[in-house]
Amino acid sequence: MISQVFILSSKGDHLIYKDFRGEAGKDAVNKFYEMVTALTGGQPPVVMKHKELHFVHIRQGGLYWVATTKADASPFTIIEFLNRLTALVKDYCGCLLEKSVQMNFALIYELLDEVVDFGYIQTTSTDILKNFIQTEAVSSKPFSLFDLSNVGLFGADTQQNKVAPSAAATRPIVSSQGEQGSKNEIFVDVIERMSVVIGANVSITDYMVESSLSTYVKMAHFYDLILPNIPNVISLPPPSLLSGYGAAVRVDECSFHQAVRLDEFDTYRILKVCPSQGEQTVMQYQLCDDLPTAPPFRLFPSIERDSGGRLLMYLKLRCDLPPKRSLPLLSLFSPSLFSSLSQELSSPDQSAELQPKNKAVHWEIPRFPGGAQLSALFKLEVSGLSAASLQEVGPVSLSFELPKYTCTGLQIRFLRLSPIQPGPSQRWVRYVTHSDSYTIRI
Amino acid sequence: MTDSKYFTTTKKGEIFELKAELNSDKKEKKKEAVKKVIASMTVGKDVSALFPDVVNCMQTDNLELKKLVYLYLMNYAKSQPDMAIMAVNTFVKDCEDANPLIRALAVRTMGCIRVDKITEYLCEPLRKCLKDEDPYVRKTAAVCVAKLHDINAQLVEDQGFLDTLKDLISDSNPMVVANAVAALSEIAESHPNSNLLDLNPQSINKLLTALNECTEWGQIFILDCLANYTPRDDRESQSICERVTPRLSHANSAVVLSAVKVLMKFMEMLPKDLDYYSTLLKKLAPPLVTLLSAEPELQYVALRNINLIVQKRPEILKHEMKVFFVKYNDPIYVKLEKLDIMIRLASQANIAQVLAELKEYATEVDVDFVRKAVRAIGRCAIKVEQSAERCVSTLLDLIQTKVNYVVQEAIVVIKDIFRKYPNKYESVIATLCENLDSLDEPEARAAMIWIVGEYAERIDNADELLESFLEGFHDESTQVQLQLLTAIVKLFLKKPTETQELVQQVLSLATQDSDNPDLRDRGYIYWRLLSTDPVAAKEVVLAEKPLISEETDLIEPTLLEELICHIGTLASVYHKPPSAFVEGSRGVMHKRLPARTGSGESTESPDVGAAGGSAPEAAPSIIPSQGDLLGDLLNLDMAPPTTSGPPPPSTGMQMGGMDLLGGGLDSLMGDESEPLGGDIGGSPAMGAGFGAAPAVMPASLNAPVGGGLGDLFDLGGVGMPMGAYIPPKIVWLPAMKAKGLEISGTFARRAGVIQMELILTNKAMSVMTDFAIQFNRNSFGLAPAGPLQVLTPLGPNQTIEVSLPLSTVGPVMKMDPLNNLQVAVKNNIDVFYFSCQYPISMLFVEDGKMERQVFLATWKDIPNDNESQFQIKDCHLNSDAASSKLQGSNIFTIAKRTVEGQDMLYMSIKLSNGIWVLAELRVQAGNPNYTISLKCRAPEVSQCVFQCYEAVLKN
Repeated sequence: MISQVFILSSKGDHLIYKDFRGEAGKDAVNKFYEMVTALTGGQPPVVMKHKELHFVHIRQGGLYWVATTKADASPFTIIEFLNRLTALVKDYCGCLLEKSVQMNFALIYELLDEVVDFGYIQTTSTDILKNFIQTEAVSSKPFSLFDLSNVGLFGADTQQNKVAPSAAATRPIVSSQGEQGSKNEIFVDVIERMSVVIGANVSITDYMVESSLSTYVKMAHFYDLILPNIPNVISLPPPSLLSGYGAAVRVDECSFHQAVRLDEFDTYRILKVCPSQGEQTVMQYQLCDDLPTAPPFRLFPSIERDSGGRLLMYLKLRCDLPPKRSLPLLSLFSPSLFSSLSQELSSPDQSAELQPKNKAVHWEIPRFPGGAQLSALFKLEVSGLSAASLQEVGPVSLSFELPKYTCTGLQIRFLRLSPIQPGPSQRWVRYVTHSDSYTIRI
Repeated sequence: MTDSKYFTTTKKGEIFELKAELNSDKKEKKKEAVKKVIASMTVGKDVSALFPDVVNCMQTDNLELKKLVYLYLMNYAKSQPDMAIMAVNTFVKDCEDANPLIRALAVRTMGCIRVDKITEYLCEPLRKCLKDEDPYVRKTAAVCVAKLHDINAQLVEDQGFLDTLKDLISDSNPMVVANAVAALSEIAESHPNSNLLDLNPQSINKLLTALNECTEWGQIFILDCLANYTPRDDRESQSICERVTPRLSHANSAVVLSAVKVLMKFMEMLPKDLDYYSTLLKKLAPPLVTLLSAEPELQYVALRNINLIVQKRPEILKHEMKVFFVKYNDPIYVKLEKLDIMIRLASQANIAQVLAELKEYATEVDVDFVRKAVRAIGRCAIKVEQSAERCVSTLLDLIQTKVNYVVQEAIVVIKDIFRKYPNKYESVIATLCENLDSLDEPEARAAMIWIVGEYAERIDNADELLESFLEGFHDESTQVQLQLLTAIVKLFLKKPTETQELVQQVLSLATQDSDNPDLRDRGYIYWRLLSTDPVAAKEVVLAEKPLISEETDLIEPTLLEELICHIGTLASVYHKPPSAFVEGSRGVMHKRLPARTGSGESTESPDVGAAGGSAPEAAPSIIPSQGDLLGDLLNLDMAPPTTSGPPPPSTGMQMGGMDLLGGGLDSLMGDESEPLGGDIGGSPAMGAGFGAAPAVMPASLNAPVGGGLGDLFDLGGVGMPMGAYIPPKIVWLPAMKAKGLEISGTFARRAGVIQMELILTNKAMSVMTDFAIQFNRNSFGLAPAGPLQVLTPLGPNQTIEVSLPLSTVGPVMKMDPLNNLQVAVKNNIDVFYFSCQYPISMLFVEDGKMERQVFLATWKDIPNDNESQFQIKDCHLNSDAASSKLQGSNIFTIAKRTVEGQDMLYMSIKLSNGIWVLAELRVQAGNPNYTISLKCRAPEVSQCVFQCYEAVLKN
């Protein structure tokens, strides 16, 4: 049971404050801000308690989205709810900025009123909500098709006719009738998050991909979306039969949105979705270990002491992707103690710097063509260098984003609206693989 | 002053402007004005002065404007109750509007206006809306009942809204059902005894049907409500589980967790050998694993819950170790939780993998995390014996890195490993000693000193090492000082010849130069022990220590059970019961897991919890060491003996206490040793204060008490007459052993109260006064419920009868024999100790009659190993007479069966601490020998119970 919901700017300004149960005072808002700004890094900020009041919050778009409760409520419910609320606000107002929240406060109050009643969450589905919401959204920025400053949200290349204008996804779904009222757009995003641990003996000790397939729909009416998968890559069991894993590929877990109908999934690998307006995650899946593709990066390190008592790290990094790709990359490693650094990098556009706070060397590679190999030599001054300090170097950690690439090999063959829809519609399918936990031990 | 005036004027100006706009004729302008008002309200400006103007805008057919006005009303109605009444008519009218949106809006808003006067007007519209044709209105009205109940509970009951709400559970619209369930659940929490939700198989079936249809949030309400239901039997439990399981693959983690809660609870009722049980276990793992791919906030909450689940049912996730491996970019609070779970899941099968991971973690950057990783390696060694060797070598590798905090942490855990596997890994001591200088944290220093002391005989330069610590003794923390003191005493006992000087030095540092009472007292105790009897000192100080347990920081079982019932809630994140942080009546009910039953009756009665719960196991697990026992027994605040001359000078008070301790200790241990003051070879000279002490110690005390106690132990064990009449009193403490005080007595249970009946006789020449009594900890927590009522002084040759009511809430310690009770009685002359045995039948409580079905289920549930059989010979009662006689002592016959001329009586007994004993008594007509089988979860009590049977039946 949610007692209050409020939205604060990062500076602590009250943007929205709604009390549902009248059990806690408004001073809770300031108390929350005090507490959240006083947190140190190691403390779990998830649930905070002040007297009888419990705060649960998330941060999105630079804002604090907070719910309070006095009962033994479920933090899962509240966090999920806040996440949905941010998605709703994004759907309705176009984007999640302090400015847009401020301009649309009346709309957000109205939303909150319909979404929560007396602390009970009612619904967060845009389909249902659109029947009730009266207020028009105020767009903070007039949309222009030529405003492509943010093109390549997911790193898509710049052939303009193929690229989904990123601004299209930041427009309110309930647009005022008129200019774009008839325009139908569907975005399907496949986002894979890779987490890899490669052991010192170059064997992969842990390889996991968590993925989500989400849709962003902007249409006057709604239709079935058909998203077939490549059958031999993922033999997804329907949720009721999860115990019987397919022999070929192990899918640890797969969950579907309520709106997904799975009746044709087993035979034809077709997901039928009746998506609501706005953004939603249609399917989440997770794979472990036996992935169809090898991890994209390999590192060949050698670490030794030179005669001058310095630590020499020679790193060779190879990218095993198809040759025409290039991607931004960033790498980090952490030796224990050092005072200064000199470096030799294989090309001028790369850079490397010391980060004493993290005890790390930060190597940034803006372009990394597929199939290429880069190398770097770092010379580190380490005080009191001993054989033992060599053991302390590592691990190397990479973070990167690979556009138009899925490491599970999942692809959407076609996207069909049924029944066939009159008038023009735009469909975008975007893939991206993302990792900030790609660790190579030395 | 001027400043504030300035502010009010501007405010007035602004408000004035708004007022004008609100009264404008143009709709758009009005709407903008109301928006502005609400904007000011949000940032905290007081715009209540505009109340009437805003209320005027209420009568409009523009829904958007109406909503804005209602929003304003909700905020300010409370501060303007009289004005709010003005709005009532519009509300009532809106409740009958043709547009369902307006009807719902009106009802919703009225419920949020927490003004008493308005609630009266609310009732009629609410009644209509509860039966509205539109589900949107009905679902809003359902919530409104909960709102109204919060303001005026009585009104809701009087108006019969609760019944209407109950009807809504059968509504055709799942959204309405979900809201009705949510509202009823909340109302039910403030009426713990009312059967509002009335969960029965039919209503459960309805809920399960609605579960498939309603929104994700509605599913959560319904699942949480289901979790409060206790199925009748395992079959019902299984069928509910089957229908809840599909929720596990829901994308909303809150739905998943609520489903996990229901399943974890109902699983408790499923027999473990059922195929379905293992299927369910397998199904629980994937959704829990998926939760870990969420954002860190959810991950953290999920990990806290998984931590509970792993403690309750480790088998669910035992193959999923890998997902708990720490990722590079996990926030630190997630990392620490993951580590904790990794250790809990560590087993022989996966230990190699876990150790390899932990070793990697130990080289990470974050200090807290590294420390915990090193500690985890130690815990693995203690938990998985086969891995101990590998763990130790891993720890040694880490020590070689010489990273300061890693070394210190490693030494702390190696100490624990030594305690778990004594005399196994001493070869590493040399390596540890090399790092002595780098230790700067108290815990690590204390651990190192402990190791040196414990293995002093194998470390050649132990004395030098300890001496080096001694130099800065006063700068050390208490922890280190205490360890150092103990370690040096150990060293002295092991190598007495070379270390006399050292031990003397540390004793005087601890006793004379320190003002820390713990340290000083420990110093004195060692000193006294050493000077009294070095052999005894050796036995005490170098005693074999109990092994440390495998699992550390487990959550206590009853709390764990309660927390399992609260999976997914705040309680599971804090790991505290909701009563600890939720105010008021809410959440005060302690939820328990259901006991496993056959297809029998309901399991509501609390007895079953006790029978199926952990009470019997708890008793043996908290046996303190012998030392505590004595400490407690002597914890009377006793004056020094006054009969044997003037009190000793200087440290008189303290010395008196010490003497009593010495005397009591010796006598209770049955040690007929030499007088206390005797010279002890090789020990250092006693301090001045101690030199005086033995002289004050009256010799007369030592001899009789010491000699007599041996006999005392034999006294209680004779046949104990029982039942309707009180067993005869026997002499517990003969006069010659207690300076003329003779105590005899017995125990009785009268009208549910346990009483100790004593006869005190003064056979000495002087008057006795100031009686007091205290019990040692005992198996069933017996303790005097009041003081010993001897009001008048007891003159020579006088006798007094005292009845002392006893309670069973005292400290518990298992005694041998179980019904042994050690008593200390004090008077103005001295303190006397004796022990007696009480008939366990006086602990049989009056409500010990078990339901037949529960009896059957419990009988089956108790393993056969716990059954013991006895013969009662020469008893000539028929089964009915026996039954009624036993009933007098609260042994209840539940059922009787006659098979081939043999009567089988089934009986139940409940002890005051909640232990149930089930009995089957077989009586063969014409055969004077009865056979009795006893079943109990704590089989230790069987012997005593049998003795009671015998005593009751034969008298």
